[in-house]
Amino acid sequence: MTTPPHQPEPGSIRDRLSSPRPTDQASGPGDSRTSDVPESSFQNGDSAGDLAAHGRGHKQIHAAMAPEPVGLDRHAMLSDRDAKAAERKVASLFLLALLGVIGFVVTFFAVEQEFGKPWNTWFTPLLGTFMALALGGIGAGAVLWAKLLMVDEEAVQDRHDFGSSAEERAATSKALKQGLADTGLPRRKLLRNSLLLGAGSLALLPLPFVGFLGRFQNKERELATTGWEKGARLIRQNGTPVKLGDIQVGGVESVFPDVEEGTLRADSPALLIRMRPEELQLAGDKQEWAYQGHVVYSSICTHLGCPVKLYEQQTHNLFCPCHQSTFKADQGAKVIFGPAARPLPQLAISVDDEGYFIAEGDFSEPVGPSYWERG
Amino acid sequence: MSVLEKGADTTAGWFDDRLGGAGYIRKSLNKVFPDHWSFMLGEIALYSFIILLLTGTYLSFFYTPSLTEVVYDGSYIPLKGVTMSQAYESTLNISFDVRGGLIMRQIHHWAALLFMAAIVVHLARVFFTGAFRKPRELNWVIGTLLLVMGIVEGFAGYSLPDDLLSGTGARIANGIALSIPVIGSWAAFLVFGGEYPGTAILDRLYALHIFVVPLLILGLITFHMLMVWYQKHTQFAGPGRTEHNVVGSRLFPGYAAKAGGFFFLVFAVLAALGGLAQINPVWLYGPYNPSQVSAGSQPDWYVGFLDGSTRLMPPWEISGFGYTVPLSVLIPTVVLPGVLFTLLGLYPWIEARISKDKGYHNLLDRPRDKPVRTAIGAMTITFYVVLMIAGGNDVIASVFHLSINTMTWVLRIGLFVLPPVVYFLTKRACLSLQRSDQELIHHGIETGTIRRLPNGEFVEETVPLPEVYQVGMTGVEAEPLDAGPETPAPVGPGYEQPQLAQAPDRDGFFSSRRKREKVPVESDAPALEQTGSRKV
Amino acid sequence: MNGQVVNKVSTRGRSRRRSRLSGIAVIMLALVAVGSLYTAVAAPSSAQESEPANQSMKVQEGRDLFLSGCSTCHGLNLAGGAGGPSLIGVGASSVIFQVESGRMPLAAGVQQAPRKDVRYTTEQIDALAAYIDSNGGGPSLPSGSLTDGDLQLGGALFRTNCASCHNFAGSGGALTYGKYAPELEQASARVIYTAMQSGPESMPRYGDNQLTVEEKKAITRYVRYITEAEDVGGAGLGRYGPLTEGLVAWVVGVVALVALTLWIGARA
Repeated sequence: MTTPPHQPEPGSIRDRLSSPRPTDQASGPGDSRTSDVPESSFQNGDSAGDLAAHGRGHKQIHAAMAPEPVGLDRHAMLSDRDAKAAERKVASLFLLALLGVIGFVVTFFAVEQEFGKPWNTWFTPLLGTFMALALGGIGAGAVLWAKLLMVDEEAVQDRHDFGSSAEERAATSKALKQGLADTGLPRRKLLRNSLLLGAGSLALLPLPFVGFLGRFQNKERELATTGWEKGARLIRQNGTPVKLGDIQVGGVESVFPDVEEGTLRADSPALLIRMRPEELQLAGDKQEWAYQGHVVYSSICTHLGCPVKLYEQQTHNLFCPCHQSTFKADQGAKVIFGPAARPLPQLAISVDDEGYFIAEGDFSEPVGPSYWERG
Repeated sequence: MSVLEKGADTTAGWFDDRLGGAGYIRKSLNKVFPDHWSFMLGEIALYSFIILLLTGTYLSFFYTPSLTEVVYDGSYIPLKGVTMSQAYESTLNISFDVRGGLIMRQIHHWAALLFMAAIVVHLARVFFTGAFRKPRELNWVIGTLLLVMGIVEGFAGYSLPDDLLSGTGARIANGIALSIPVIGSWAAFLVFGGEYPGTAILDRLYALHIFVVPLLILGLITFHMLMVWYQKHTQFAGPGRTEHNVVGSRLFPGYAAKAGGFFFLVFAVLAALGGLAQINPVWLYGPYNPSQVSAGSQPDWYVGFLDGSTRLMPPWEISGFGYTVPLSVLIPTVVLPGVLFTLLGLYPWIEARISKDKGYHNLLDRPRDKPVRTAIGAMTITFYVVLMIAGGNDVIASVFHLSINTMTWVLRIGLFVLPPVVYFLTKRACLSLQRSDQELIHHGIETGTIRRLPNGEFVEETVPLPEVYQVGMTGVEAEPLDAGPETPAPVGPGYEQPQLAQAPDRDGFFSSRRKREKVPVESDAPALEQTGSRKV
Repeated sequence: MNGQVVNKVSTRGRSRRRSRLSGIAVIMLALVAVGSLYTAVAAPSSAQESEPANQSMKVQEGRDLFLSGCSTCHGLNLAGGAGGPSLIGVGASSVIFQVESGRMPLAAGVQQAPRKDVRYTTEQIDALAAYIDSNGGGPSLPSGSLTDGDLQLGGALFRTNCASCHNFAGSGGALTYGKYAPELEQASARVIYTAMQSGPESMPRYGDNQLTVEEKKAITRYVRYITEAEDVGGAGLGRYGPLTEGLVAWVVGVVALVALTLWIGARA
C-alpha cells in the first residue's frame, strides 16, 4: 500500500509484507490496489450525527459501532523466521537504548566537567553521544516495530462538513437574540450606556502600570547627552588617563569620560585616533576640535548603536561590524558606505596642563541611533 | 488474559465508572491519519518545543536574571577574577560547574534553532500543497503567529546570558524601537525602563522568555493541533482518496508508535547536536560591555533575514520640522517584517480572492499543478534567502576573502532581480512537469521495444500507465472507495463541490493548465492491442 | 591544554583539536630544537666572543639575506623601490611580523599580503631584523617569554582592542573593500606581539605607552590560549558565531530529521 505505489521486488520481506494476501492473488500486481482496497477499508464516522449529516447509509454506522480489523496483519503474513528476525532487530535497538543509558550515567559520574579537569572536553560530547544512543534506540526501535510487526493498513474514515445547516444557524441566531432581548440591554439605554462607559474605562486601568515600566523623566535630555563634560579627562577602560604622546600615529584607543561610572555608561564610549595632522581634513571649526592629529569620535554607531571600533590605519576607514556602515575618520567620520545616515559625532578635545587629554564639553549632538525628536 | 491486560482493564474501568469516555477513547484510537513523510515536519517543531520546555526548566534552576555585578570565581580560568553580571556568571556556571549543564544549554539552543527551522519547513509544505485553503485558513493564521512568537521567544533567550553577543543584540533592539516615528523614544524607554541599557531589561526578558511567550506558544500549539484533530488532516490524491474521506493508518497502534518513536528520534538528533556541536560559547564572547563588540556579530539564523535587510539598506533618513524618521532602520526592521508577516497571514484570503476559489479542500495540490502559487513561494524563498545571505555577508566575506562592499552591492541587486527570475523559471518548470505527466497519461510508458510496421514505419511500443498511477496527476480524480449507494452531494451553507474536476482553465493561474480530459490512447498499429506506440 | 602555550614559528596545521599528547610532543620537540640550537650557536661563541661582535655577525648575516631575498623590491640601500616601501626606521618587530608570518617575501601584487609558509628560519629572521634595525631603529621584541602575561587581563584587553576586527575567538573578520583581519590561530606569539607593535597594513599600532609590554604579553598569551584550547562543547564550528550554527542547524539538523521522516513515511 504505497503512495505512489511501487512494484515490490519478489522474494524480500518487504515483498511479503506489502503484497496482498494469498486470497487476493487473482488480480494482477498493477491493479491489486483498487480491488484490494474496498475489502480492507475501514469506514468509521466520528459520530452518528456526523454520519447523518452525510446522508450515508447505515452500513457505516455499524462499522463505526463494531470496527473490524483491517489492513494487512503482518503476523499472519510473516514467516516465523522473518518475524523472529524482525523482532530481534527491534529488540536490539531497545537494548541499544539500555547501553546508551549506562554509558550516560557512567560518563555523568566518572568524567569531570569542570574546566581544566582531565578529559573535561570529552564530557559533553560523550554525554551527547550516549544520550543520542539511548533516545535514538527507543525511537528507531518503536518506528521499526511499527513498520515491521504492526498492521499495515489503509483505513478509510469519512470527513465532517463544517457548515451547519441553515435551520441550525437560524435557530442558534434566534436563541442568541432572544437571550440578548431577555437581558433588556437593547431597550434600557441607561443600562447600556453606563455599562459601555464603566467597562470601557476598565481598559484604562492597566495604563498606569504600563506607564510605570518606563522612567520617562528627562527622556530627551538623556537621549541627547552623554557622560562627557568640559574638562573630563579621557580615560581607558582600566581608568588610566591618556596622555599626549601615548598613542602613536596609526594608533587608536577606546576612551571614556573620567566621570562617575564613565566607563560603564553605554552612550559615552569614544574612539581616540591619531593620524598625521596633515591627513586630517575636518570641516571648519571641527578642525579645532582635534588636537595635533588626535581626533575623537563617538564609537556608538549612528545607525543602530553598535560600537564602531574597526579602524583601518591606512585608509582611515571606520567600520561597524553589525551592519557595515563605513565612516571616514580623516574626513569628519562622514559615511561612505552602509545604512548609517549620519557621521559619528566628533568630540572636542584639548590637553590639560599635565599633558592629559580632556574633553572640551559634551558631544554637540545626540550620539547613537536616530529617533523622532532628534530633529 | 495476562496480568498486564487485567490490570489495565481494572484501572480503565475505575476511571470510566467516574468519568465515562470509553466510547470517545475508542473512537479516538480509531482516528485515521494520512501517511506521508511531509506530514511529519510540523511534528519536528512540536517535539522541539517539548524538548525546549524540558531543557529550559532545568536551565531555569541555575540561571539568575540579574545585572548585579559579581566577581567570577568559577572554574573557567581565563575569566577568573573578572567582574561580570550575575546573569553571565550563572551562565558560565551552567556551562562549566553544573554537571550536565552545558549539554542542557546546548540542546536547548539547538532545539530553538530547529524549532524555528521546522516551523519554516512545515510552513513551506503547507503553502506549496495548498493545505491552507478553506476550511483551514484559521490554522494558517495560528501558524503564522507561532512563527512570529518563535522569533520573539528566540530573541529573548538570545539576550539572557548577557554575554558580548547578546548585549549587542539588545542594543540593536533598542535602536529599532527608537526608530519608530512619534512613539519611538517612549517605546524604547518603556521596554528598557529608561535609557539603554538600564537595569530592568533582563528581568523583563526573562519573564517573557520563560513564562509569557512560552505560554502563548503552548496555547497556540494546542489550538493548532485541536484544529487538525477536529478538521482532520489533509491528504494527497490517490486511489480511493477523495475530498470526503481520510485514508491512512489509525492512531492506535501504528500511527502512535511511529509518532512516539519520532519524538525520541528528534530528541536523539538534538542530543547528538548538543553534545557534538558547540553552540553559543558564551565564555569566549566574554561579559557584555557597551564599548566592546566582536567582528561577525550576528543574530541567530531566524533573525538573520532582518539583519540582512538592514545591511542592504541605503542610508536614508528624513528630517524636517524638528523631527527625524530614520528610514534606514525603520524600513528593514519594522516595515519589512510587518508587511511580510501580514501578507503571509493573509495569503489564504489573497489567493481565494484571485482564484475565486471558495470551495472546501481536503485534497492537497501537487506544487506543479498550481504553477503560480508555487512560483510565488519560490520567489519568496529566494527573497528570504538573499536577505539571509546578506545577514552573514561579513563572515562569508571574511572566510572567502571577498569584498564586503561588492558583496553588498551584488546582494542589493540580487534582492530585486533574482525573485522575478526564479518566479518565471519555477512557473515554466511546473508547466513542463504537467506536460510530461500528460505525456505519460496520453502515450503511456516507453518499453524500449521497437517494432516495424507493415508500411515500414518504426514505432516504439508503449504500455498505458495503469489507472492507479494516474490518480493524483493533473486533473485525474479518484473514484470513491465504497461500493455502497452513491453519496448525494453534501449540502450546507458555503459548501461547493470540490474544485478539482471543474477548475476553470485560467492559464495556470492557481490552477492546472489543463482541464480534466481523458484522451484515448494513441494507437497507430491495430496489431498492438493493449499497448500503444509512439513514433521513433 | 590548560595554560600551556607553544611558542613556535611555523604555520601550524588547521586542526584546533590536537590531542594532549601531540601538544606535549610539540613542546618536547621545541625544547630539543631550542636546546640543540643553543649548543650549536650560542655555546661556542659565548666563551670567546663578546656580545657586540655576535651582534655584528648577525647584522652581517642579515644583510646577506636581505640582499639576496628582499632588495629587489625594497632597494639595495633599504630606501624602497620597485613596489616595496622603505625599511629605514621600521624596526625589528615589523620584520619579524612580516617574515615570520610568511607574508614577506610577497608573492605577487595583492591588496593584502596573505599569510604563507615561512621562508626563513628563526635565526635568519632575527638576523634580518637585526640588520634592518641597525639602519634606523624601531620597536623590537622585549626580552623574556612573550606568553607569561596575565591571562584574564589579556582577555579583557583582547575584547576591548582586538575582538572588534579579529572576532571574539580570533577567527578573523572582514574589513572594508576586500581587506580582512586574519584569523589568529596560525599566528605565533612573536607574530602576535610584533603585529601589535608595528601595526601592519590596516591594523592600528599599539605603542608601549598605550599598551605596556606586560599588557601586550597578556594579550599574546590570551590569544595563544584560546586558539589552542580545545572546545568543551563538541566541534567548535570554526568559532564564527551564529552563522555557522544556523548553517549546521539546517544542513545537519533539518536534513537529518527530514531523512528520518522519509524513513518513517516509507512503507515497509
